[in-house]
Amino acid sequence: MRPVTPADGAKMLRNPPMSRRRAVRLGTAGIVMAVARRLHAQAAAARDSAGTPNGPTDGSSGSNLFAMNQGAARTVHRPPKPGVAPHVSDADRDQVEKKLRCQCGCTLDVYTCRTTDFACEVSPAMHRDIIALIDGGYGAEEIVDAFVGSYGEKVLMAPTKSGFNLVGWTMPFGALIVGGGALALLLLRWRRRGAVEAAVRASERSSLPVAGVDATVDELAEVDAAVRGEHR
Amino acid sequence: MILIGELSLWVAVVMAAWTTTVSFAGGKLRRADLIASGERGLYSTFALVLLAAIGLWTALLGHDFSLEYVASNTSRNMPSVYVFAAFWGGQAGSLLFWALILSFFSSLAVFSSRARSRDLMPWVTGTLGVVILFFLLTACLGANPYTRLPFVPLDGRGLNPQLQNPGMAIHPPNLYLGYVATTIPFAFAIGALVTRRLDNEWLAAVRRWALVSWFFLTVGITLGMWWAYVELGWGGYWAWDPVENASFLPWLTGTAFLHSIMIQEKRGMLKKWNVVLVVATFLLAILGTFITRSGIISSVHAFAQSPVGNWFAGFLIVAIAVTTILVMTRLRDLEAPVTLESMASREAAFLYNNLLLCGIAFSVLWGTLFPILSEWVRGTKITVGPPFFNAVNIPLGLLLLGLTGVGPLIAWRRASTSNLKRQFIAPAVSGLVVGVLLLALGMRDVYALISYTLAGFVTATIVQEFVKGTRARRSIHGEPLPLALVRLIGRNRRRYGGYIVHLGIVVLFSAFAGMAFKQENDVTLKPGESFLAKDPWGHDWRFVSQGVSRFDALNRDVLAIGLDTYRDGKRIGVMTSEQRQYRDSRGNPTFNPSTEVGIHGTLEEDTYVVLAGVTGDETAELRISFNPLVWWVWYGGAIMAFGGLIVMWPAAEKRKPNSGYRASLAPNAELAEAAQ
Repeated sequence: MRPVTPADGAKMLRNPPMSRRRAVRLGTAGIVMAVARRLHAQAAAARDSAGTPNGPTDGSSGSNLFAMNQGAARTVHRPPKPGVAPHVSDADRDQVEKKLRCQCGCTLDVYTCRTTDFACEVSPAMHRDIIALIDGGYGAEEIVDAFVGSYGEKVLMAPTKSGFNLVGWTMPFGALIVGGGALALLLLRWRRRGAVEAAVRASERSSLPVAGVDATVDELAEVDAAVRGEHR
Repeated sequence: MILIGELSLWVAVVMAAWTTTVSFAGGKLRRADLIASGERGLYSTFALVLLAAIGLWTALLGHDFSLEYVASNTSRNMPSVYVFAAFWGGQAGSLLFWALILSFFSSLAVFSSRARSRDLMPWVTGTLGVVILFFLLTACLGANPYTRLPFVPLDGRGLNPQLQNPGMAIHPPNLYLGYVATTIPFAFAIGALVTRRLDNEWLAAVRRWALVSWFFLTVGITLGMWWAYVELGWGGYWAWDPVENASFLPWLTGTAFLHSIMIQEKRGMLKKWNVVLVVATFLLAILGTFITRSGIISSVHAFAQSPVGNWFAGFLIVAIAVTTILVMTRLRDLEAPVTLESMASREAAFLYNNLLLCGIAFSVLWGTLFPILSEWVRGTKITVGPPFFNAVNIPLGLLLLGLTGVGPLIAWRRASTSNLKRQFIAPAVSGLVVGVLLLALGMRDVYALISYTLAGFVTATIVQEFVKGTRARRSIHGEPLPLALVRLIGRNRRRYGGYIVHLGIVVLFSAFAGMAFKQENDVTLKPGESFLAKDPWGHDWRFVSQGVSRFDALNRDVLAIGLDTYRDGKRIGVMTSEQRQYRDSRGNPTFNPSTEVGIHGTLEEDTYVVLAGVTGDETAELRISFNPLVWWVWYGGAIMAFGGLIVMWPAAEKRKPNSGYRASLAPNAELAEAAQ
């Protein structure tokens, strides 16, 4: 069946073999369809021009869970230190690996990735470089520095505590201190206001006539004191 | 049906646009016909989106591979449940799913509140229409699930293997439900701001929706943790991944709102703050979606990089601008007669709680976005991973845990010294006893010690509240203990449901602290070889390799290892871990290989086995970990969700209005009739 177009709707309005309302409905449907087709085509063209392949294996609409970059490993090589024996224990090596991020895209540290993800080729390569550096006599800090030298700071699991990164480290606590200070000031102001209002209420109460009695609270208190023989 | 679905999606766009236009016009011109038309338009939009969803489900279950989405996310040999769940497994389908839930929730909210908040409703309906329109437009123009391929492949690519897990079938929908539900309070806030009706009326309408959002976010986050733990295979449940953080952010501000709303209800304070929290929760949900879908930040959970991110960025900017303008121009209307009698009062404690929750939210947001900021400022890419988030958030989390115990015990307005002593002596002593006991038993991890001490304190406060309340009921009504307890909770759902949520928090923190004692072993085993280990509780474990086996399953090739496992000399069974290569129906590999972990779980700990690799001579490389108290995480989440349900559950008298009168009036009427 041929799709309804806006022209069909217009024609039906001119030559009404059917009710005007029905024609308007059909015309609206035609406009909707035409606009929809146009927009759909534009969106498809935009996708094509963006270079998205149409095949079912592009993964463009899928999840990133397996989007590993297996070619992300770079060689981190330093010449062995002459006369220096390896002095980094296995436990310290694991700690170094926990400070370094695997570059395959898994967001895990090298140690966790290499011991749990058999499909990753990046973390084993990084592990081999670490072993080579340890065998070459390099210490834990030097190994980390060597990796930063090759990959940049992104290889670290957390930012260094220097330079602009200090802003990153201190900002949450700074914000909390500022927020806490502001809250404290606010609370103090509210409390002061509360105290003033309480005092005003008390004084208003004492000068107001007591219901059903032709006297204020203060006057009653005076009478009470006189009856008891007390002086106010 | 597929064609009807596709057409319905486009017509839904027009209907949402109509809903928005006539609702706003109806609100502005105060025309009842336009307002009613907007409401009907909203219901129609839901019906149309439902048709669109049914169309896509038909395509998925019918294996119509002419649709790119079906071909990219399913295959003929996939189990039907995952074919069904593939609806929300990819970018385009999940956008339609979002629109479906949003239009459903919106219809429900408008239908249930239309009689109560007449002035607000056109603006609420219009705002909901705008958000629905945005999602529908994104689904149509940004990532259309009905996009057709120029050819029809024989089979599809299949769903990502790591998404072929029962957790995946229920975790994302729960998160979506949580995210989407934030829209309803947001729409009411916009309605209240536009109409300047900023009294407590709009809050009453949104409280339940805020709870719905909080409940589903809690369930969704817990299920996500469970899915990550059993499926991703790295041995943990929370990695401070940007997408995990994205789900955590609205939960934090939503939790803050659920506390601060009580102050406005009781004392009329914090009008501005509550509006800000409602708006922030919605914007953070959108920000999270932007992070997940734009590919702007590297994450294992994120969808592949997509232009959809630009849509969300644009929407976010517009939403921030509009809400900022609205709030700024209504500041005078948001003024409230605020007074505070004492710093040691329930309202002050809730404010400290809000400070901490928002402080944690800020630190999570800051850590998530700092790599982008660093790249802008320095041109250097950096990583902000667990070391940063743990260093910042653990102290704040512990402070919050402490406040969980303090807040509920302090009186409203002013707590006297005698009140404080009476309420806090027993819990404080309990907490200290726990701490000293653990120290004497050799626990040296500072954070864990503080955590368990505070857990002891908070648990004692909760128990004390239940004991006092139950005793009071027994003495007043003479009820037996179980009945008194049930009625205590039933008659004070908000209060005691809240305490149950707090108990869930305590269980969660205890579980988190347990991971400080996690023990990992990298093991290499040939067939017949065994590995001996002592777990953190002092139990002796023996794992004997039964060798590696290879076999075909439904849609995958499997490489598996079996470990005969003994605990303290007693055999507990065979633990297996697998490497899987999924294949399509023609036998071609799909996706990269994946891991299936072996878990033996008890209340004490999980024994967690991962097959990390196999060398040529059948030697298996394994990681065997002992993860203490992991089950407590799932129990903690379940307890929180249970407490949330209690809080949300409608009060009995509201569920059956006038039922008591009906029961007494009917016989009287009959008597009257009989007398005549």
